[in-house]
Amino acid sequence: MLTKTEVEKIAGLARLKLEDKEKEKFAEDLSSIIGYIQKLSEVNVEKVEPMFGGTDLESVTRQDDETKSISNPEMRKQILNAAPNREGDYFKVPSILE
Amino acid sequence: MNLKELTIKEAHKLLEEKEITSVELTKAHFDGIKKHDGNIHAFLSLTEKEALESAKKVDQRISKGEPIEMLAGIPAAIKDNILIRGAKTTAASKILENYIAPYDATVIKKLKEEEAVFIGKTNMDEFAMGGSTENSAFGPTKNPVDTNRVPGGSSGGSAAAIKAGFSVYALGSDTGGSIRQPAGFCGVVGFKPSYGAVSRHGLMAMASSLDQIGPITKNVDDAAAVFEIIRGADILDSTSADREWQSYHDKPVDIEEIKFGVPREYFTHGLAPEIEKNIKAVISKLEKEGAQIEEISLPYSEWALAAYYIIMPAEVSANLARFDGIKYGYSKMSNLKDTYLESRGEGFGAEARRRIMLGTYVLSAGYYDAYYTRAQKVRRLIKQDFVHAFKEVDAIITPTSPTTAFKFGEKTQDPLSMYLADIYTVSINLAGVPAISIPIKEVNGLPVGLQLIGNNFEDIKLLKIAKIVEDMSK
Repeated sequence: MLTKTEVEKIAGLARLKLEDKEKEKFAEDLSSIIGYIQKLSEVNVEKVEPMFGGTDLESVTRQDDETKSISNPEMRKQILNAAPNREGDYFKVPSILE
Repeated sequence: MNLKELTIKEAHKLLEEKEITSVELTKAHFDGIKKHDGNIHAFLSLTEKEALESAKKVDQRISKGEPIEMLAGIPAAIKDNILIRGAKTTAASKILENYIAPYDATVIKKLKEEEAVFIGKTNMDEFAMGGSTENSAFGPTKNPVDTNRVPGGSSGGSAAAIKAGFSVYALGSDTGGSIRQPAGFCGVVGFKPSYGAVSRHGLMAMASSLDQIGPITKNVDDAAAVFEIIRGADILDSTSADREWQSYHDKPVDIEEIKFGVPREYFTHGLAPEIEKNIKAVISKLEKEGAQIEEISLPYSEWALAAYYIIMPAEVSANLARFDGIKYGYSKMSNLKDTYLESRGEGFGAEARRRIMLGTYVLSAGYYDAYYTRAQKVRRLIKQDFVHAFKEVDAIITPTSPTTAFKFGEKTQDPLSMYLADIYTVSINLAGVPAISIPIKEVNGLPVGLQLIGNNFEDIKLLKIAKIVEDMSK
């Protein structure tokens, strides 16, 4: 059973602010799901290779071509317009250094 | 003639023969939407002006006697997590409420080359997380068959739109059943192609090792028609596979040459007896017509849902980290940490936050090996189940869902009960194989979906087999 404090810790790691009244419901929900997924401990996975990803494809690479990076001015404008806070052609971000 | 009942093939023929125009066809669908979508709520936004312009262009080409593409001039509804340039694309989330897509998804680019007519963006569970559309930030979609019931999800808007005659076909996305389950609940066809068959560039990523785009249509022929356009390798999705595809119109398969596998693990506790009866009736009919039926075992099915609910949220927590309140979307700007906390805390709905937290938990130090690595090992075992099965059989028959469409609110209080609705669909995504849901005989007036699973990249063979099963279940 997850405690309210554990939920607060996870939410902090995930950068999610939770309302106080939601925390207990989330603790309850997450506990019941975690209880269910513990079912996997029943499976003998000795000598099984983990399957990361959906295919066995090798890494796919391509040439780094800077002319393909948002060379379309219209698209560039749309991307910048989507920013909540900008100055000229820059995203404006809160300062991280005092 | 009811224009809203036409399939792709029928509409294409009528357009070519100049019996109807694309503008008439498009307008008929918008009329239906205006009359009935206030009640159903299949759409989050409509693009009527652009649709009529596209339709007019196709009509001009037809009147000049030019040949037209299979999907030209035919209305399409697109799930709102797929980007159409210049159109609002929200993934049914408050965090993207005002987001305008700056580019076309690859599937959209391909449909535009066909001169498809996009009528609007369909409702869904927020970021494709859910099985009922009740997680949409903009209110749920109702099932056109019974408006007290959910249409399924997450592609519930797309499935409802096809059932209600709002569009000739639709695109959905499927991470754990999100095309097949709503198709089953609404009584239409939903096809999830092999992982890697269709580019996901421009699909908002939910769980990247599982996500796949596919069609929701009125019949199997139409699903094949759309699939044959949208499939193919794409340099912008490095998981897309480069391969030679067969054509759906090559020689049809002979029923006497097909061996169907019936996995005993899919017909146990939890399956509604009436659904089991109807699925078994189709199986008997296939056998009578000369198909071979074999009981098989997929022994690791039992653990698929648990593995899925580790792998999927882990990937969700990573994919949704991009929503930071800075580059786009809902933003509460203050100092850096609070910008993250508040933009994400207020922008994401409850289910998105639940899955992000679950993913963060299973990936955190001390739990990573116990949950995440173990789940990836179980995933390998599930994949091997299918590899073994397809050495023996051509296709596997199962129910799409253990129940018919449920009522609103029935499962919202208990997320685990909602997750159990995916029990027959998630293994397919974990294994990466293709699967299709086709409607069979109803139970108490509610649609029932039969799921057919095919071998990896044998999508065309699966569609041909599905066509036979579809004909047989009529």
